[in-house]
Amino acid sequence: MTSIQTEPRSGSRSGVGASVPRPDGTLKVTGEFAYSSDLWLDGMLWGATLRSPHPSAWIRSIDIGPALAMPGVFAVLTHEDVPGEKFYGLEHRDQPVLAVDQVRYQGEPVALVAADHPETARRAAAAIIVAYEPREAVVDPRRAAFDPSCPPVHPHGNLVRHQPVRVGDRFQAEVVVTGEYEVGMQDQAFLGPESGLAVPAEDGGVDLFIATQWLHVDQDQVAPCLGLPKEKVRLSLAGVGGAFGAREDLSMQIHASMLALRTGRPVKIVYGREESFFGHVHRHPAWMRYEHGATADGRLVYVRAEILLDGGAYCSTSRAVVGNAASLGVGPYEVDNVRIDAYGVYTNNPPCGAMRGFGAVQACYAYESQMDRLAEACGLSPVEIRIRNAVSQGSRLATGQVVDSPAPLAGMLRELAAMPLPGSTVTRRSITEPSSAKPSSAEPVPDLRSLPGGVSQTTHGEGVRRGVGYGVGIKNICFSEGFDDYSTARVRVELLGGEPHVLVHTAAAEVGQGLITVKAQIARTELGIDKVTVAPADTSVGSAGSSSASRQSYVTGGAVKAACEAVRERLDSLRAGDPELGLVELLERFGPVEETREYRHRPTFPMDPVTGQGDSHTQLALCVHRAVVDVDVELGLVKVVELAAVQDVGRILNPVALEGQIHGGTAQGLGLALMEEIQVRDGRVLNPSFTDYLIPTILDMPPMRLSILENPDPHAPYGLRGAGEPPTLSSTPAVAAAVRAATGLELPRVPIRPEDIALAAPS
Amino acid sequence: MRPFAYQRATDVPSAVAAGTGQAMYLGGGTNLVDLMRLGVATPEVLVDVTRVPFDTIEETPGGGLLIGAGVRNSDLAAHPLVLRNYPMLAQAVVAGGSGQIRNMATVAGNLLQRTRCSYFQDITKPCNKRVPGSGCPAREGDHRNLAILGHSEACVATHPSDMAVPLAALGAVVNVESSGGPRAIPMPGFHRLPGDAPERDTLLRPGDLVTAVELPALPFAARSRYRKVRDRASFAFAVVSVAAALDVADGVVRDCRIALGGVAHVPWRAERAEAALRGAPATAEEFARAAEAELAQASPLPRNAFKVPLARNVLVRTLLDLTAREDLTAAGDTGETS
Repeated sequence: MTSIQTEPRSGSRSGVGASVPRPDGTLKVTGEFAYSSDLWLDGMLWGATLRSPHPSAWIRSIDIGPALAMPGVFAVLTHEDVPGEKFYGLEHRDQPVLAVDQVRYQGEPVALVAADHPETARRAAAAIIVAYEPREAVVDPRRAAFDPSCPPVHPHGNLVRHQPVRVGDRFQAEVVVTGEYEVGMQDQAFLGPESGLAVPAEDGGVDLFIATQWLHVDQDQVAPCLGLPKEKVRLSLAGVGGAFGAREDLSMQIHASMLALRTGRPVKIVYGREESFFGHVHRHPAWMRYEHGATADGRLVYVRAEILLDGGAYCSTSRAVVGNAASLGVGPYEVDNVRIDAYGVYTNNPPCGAMRGFGAVQACYAYESQMDRLAEACGLSPVEIRIRNAVSQGSRLATGQVVDSPAPLAGMLRELAAMPLPGSTVTRRSITEPSSAKPSSAEPVPDLRSLPGGVSQTTHGEGVRRGVGYGVGIKNICFSEGFDDYSTARVRVELLGGEPHVLVHTAAAEVGQGLITVKAQIARTELGIDKVTVAPADTSVGSAGSSSASRQSYVTGGAVKAACEAVRERLDSLRAGDPELGLVELLERFGPVEETREYRHRPTFPMDPVTGQGDSHTQLALCVHRAVVDVDVELGLVKVVELAAVQDVGRILNPVALEGQIHGGTAQGLGLALMEEIQVRDGRVLNPSFTDYLIPTILDMPPMRLSILENPDPHAPYGLRGAGEPPTLSSTPAVAAAVRAATGLELPRVPIRPEDIALAAPS
Repeated sequence: MRPFAYQRATDVPSAVAAGTGQAMYLGGGTNLVDLMRLGVATPEVLVDVTRVPFDTIEETPGGGLLIGAGVRNSDLAAHPLVLRNYPMLAQAVVAGGSGQIRNMATVAGNLLQRTRCSYFQDITKPCNKRVPGSGCPAREGDHRNLAILGHSEACVATHPSDMAVPLAALGAVVNVESSGGPRAIPMPGFHRLPGDAPERDTLLRPGDLVTAVELPALPFAARSRYRKVRDRASFAFAVVSVAAALDVADGVVRDCRIALGGVAHVPWRAERAEAALRGAPATAEEFARAAEAELAQASPLPRNAFKVPLARNVLVRTLLDLTAREDLTAAGDTGETS
C-alpha cells in the first residue's frame, strides 16, 4: 500500500505523466488572470513608499508634517511606528523594516504613506523631508572582502560568509590553464510587480493577500515586526506574476500590514516597474579566478578557485548562495584535489539574493569556460574533455559527498553531440562586389530573422561565422546544508453531488511553474479519483516551504503523495469489514476522509567551515546544452540559431509543463550570456526599466531540441528530479563557448556585448 | 513628478497661444511622460496637441510628401507613398520602439526625443544638458552609448531617434508655427550640435510648435535602406545606424544621401562620405574610402571607440547592399514584424 505506485489506480488519463493543461494558462494569455496587483476592496487605501536616493547616508531627521497635511492622506509612518521588531531577514535579520538612522542602498525604504488615491500617496511620500548626510559608499566588493581599511557596511564587518573547500594536496599538473571570469548582475525580471493587499481583522490581526514564494516564511518575518502572534497574521497567496527568486525576500508585506493596522482600512501597495527594480534582490554579480590542472590526456588533477560574490547592502540569502558556489564550484567533474574559496560580502550596491540557479550559475560559467580552455590545451574536443572527467553514480564530489543516484553525464554528452546540427541559415553568397545580377532563382533566400541582427537586416550573410559550444551544469535540488526542509499537504476525499471528490490543500506557492496542475495529477494517480480541486494556498495549513530550489514537485509533491497514501490506508481500513464495498458507498457510510502529512527529504548536513566537507545536498540534477550561434563578426551581433539540451529529470510528471521549464530556464541563461545586466554606477542602478534592462524577446530565443531522460532517483517521490533551475546554468556557458568558437575571442565576461566581439575577430 | 496643468488644444493657433512660458506640447507622450516621471522634464503646463488636425500625409505638388506633425509613427511607416518613395524612412520607423509605442508616438515627438544618456536621466547627477553649467560626468564615466562625432567638452550625448536619420539624409524640412509666424527649418540643421549650449537640442524656441515635416521629391530614394545595430533583436535603441539612398548608373555613383544614427548629438548627415562617393565607382573599395573619409573626423571616447569601425562596417554594408540587391523597394521589405 505504501509502495511507489506510479500508474493511476483507475486508469485516470489526467494523472502523473500526462500533459494536463494548466488552469491559469488561458486566463493569462487572454489577460483575465487576477494578479496580486488586481486585488481590490471597497474603501481600501493605497500605500506608497519613500525610498532613499543615496546608496549610503546617515539620516539626520525625517519631517512627515508636509505629507500628513495633504488632503486624502490617512497615515505617514517611519521606523518609529514599527510596532514590533525593527529588523527582518531570511537568513539573518539585518534589514530594517524602515531605515532607522542610516540607509545602505539606493532605494531602501524610509517612510510609508497611506492615502485614498495612489497618486496622492506618491505625492505625499515625495513631500516627506528627509535630511540625509551622504557617506562614502562601499561599491568595490574586492575591497569590501579583503581591505581592512574599507568602511564597514554593517557593524560586524563586510564579510557575510567565506566558505572554503579543501581536498587533496596535489596542485601540480602537466597542463595548467588559468582564467579570470566575471558575471554581471542579472535581474529576475518577472512581469508582475510586487503587490498585495493587507486587510485589518476584528481580532486585531491582519489578513494579507500577497504574491510570494513562501507564505510561512513571510509570516515568520511579518508577525514579529507587527508585534503580533503568528496566528493573527494570516497570509493567502494572490496571483503571482513570476518569481525566479525575487519574491523570497519580503518587499511590501510588513509595510502594507503596518498601514492597514494603523488606519483600520484595507491597504493595497503596488510597485511600478521602476520601483520593482529597487523592491527585490538580484543575482549576485561574481568575480572568479580559476586554475585547472590536468594530465596531458585531459584528466583533471586539481582545481583552484576564488569566487567573490557581491551581496550588496543586506544579507538576504547570500550565505546559502556562497555555499552553493563553493560546493558546486568545480562542476560535475571528478577531481581529487580541490582548493576553493568562496566569499560573499556586504557593499552599498543593490542587495543580491535568490535567483534561479542560486550561486551555481556564476560558478558554472567560470568552470565551463575553463573546461573549454583545458580542451584546447590538451588537443581534445569540448565534448571529449567533459566525458573524460564526467561524474557518474558513485562519484565523490569535492565536498566528499557521493553521488548516490543516476548521473549519466557522459551518456548525456554523447547524445547531445550526436544530435544533428541545424543547417546553415546563411547563403554564403559574396556581395563584396556589387552586382547588377539578381540573385538566381535557384539560390535560397535566407530568412532574415534567422541572421545576426535579425529584423534589423544588418547582414544578408556577409561577415557571419558560425560557432558551436557546449555547457554542462550541476544544481542541488531542495534546500541544503542541514536546513529542515519539508512540506505539508492536507487531502480530503468526500462525496459531492454523489460523486467522489478530492480536495488538496497546501501552502505551496504557484508562481507560474504549474504546481497546481501537478498536485492534482498526483492526487488522481494516488487515489484513482478524477475530480480533484486544489484549494487556494494560505497559512491555514502547515508550511510547504519555498517555491524555489526546484523543490516543490519533490517536497510538496511528496507531501501530497504521502497524504493521499494515508487517505488510501484509511479507506482500506474502513473497507476491511466489507471488501466488496465501493468507494461511494464507503464515503456515504463513513463520511469524508481527511489526512494531513508532512514530507521531508533526506537530511542534509552543514559544510565543514574549514574544509567544506559534508553531505550538504539531498539531490543533484544535471543538464547539458549545445548552442549553435551565428556571429556577425564585423558588427558584433550574435544570433543563437539553436539550443539543444539533454536533461535527466528522473521522472516526467507533466511533459508540456516540463518543456516550458526547460525553455524558460534556457532563455534566462541566454539572456545572461548576451544582454541581461543591471548596470550599477557608484551604487546606483542606471537601467531600472524594461527599456534599458534588456531581456530576450521571442526573436532572440531560438527553437530548442530537447531530450529528456528518466533515470529515477530512488530517494525521491516517483523518482523525480527537480527541473526548473539546471537549464539556467548550462545555457549561459554554452552560448558563450559558441561565440568564442565563432570569433576566437576569450570573452571572459557575461553578458557579451557587441563591443566585446570587438569588431576585430581574427580573420 | 511635479504637479502640472493640462490643457487640450484643438487647432494650431490655440496650441501656439497656450504654448508660452514653461509649457510643453504633449504628443504621444512616449518620451515626455517618462522624463516627467524621472523629474527631468518639469513643465508647468502640458498642452495636448493630439486633437490638432495635423495628422495627414499628403503628396506635394513637387512630388514630395507633407507629413503632419501629429501623424502616428505606425501610420507613417505603413503609408504607401512612404513605402514606395522612401523605404528607408519606413524601415527606420518600424525599427524603433514596439508596436504599441509606434501607435502612440507622433512624428514631431519622435524628432524631439531627448537623449538616453544615463546622466541626463539621473537627476542626482550633474548634466549640462539638464542643468546648464553643472558639468558632464559622461566624458570620464559611462559613455558606451554616446557620441563619437561632433561632441563638445560640455556634452557627448546622442540623439536617439531612428526616424530622424533618414529625414536628415533626405534633407527634410521641418515646418514650425509660432507667435511670430511660420518658418521652415531644413534638416540637417534642425537639430544642433551641443557646443557650449547642450540644453538646446534643436533650433526651436520656446512656444514653437512643429506642424509638419516636408520631404522633397528624390526619385532615387526609392532605392534606399536603413540598417540598425542594437543590443538585442528588437525593442532596443540604436548603437549605430545608417540611412542611405544611392543612385548608380553604369557602375558609377551619380548621387547619394547618407546619414548616421547613434553617433552624434544630431542625426549625422555624412556629407564627406557623400562628396567622396559622387562620381566614384560603386565598388567596395570606394565605399570603404567614403566611410573612412566621414569617420576621419570622429573623436571617440575610450569606451565607445568601437563605434568607429562599427559605423564604417554598417555603412559599407548598407551601400553594398543597395548596389547588390534589386528588391529593396518591395513594400513588404520593412523589416520588423511586430
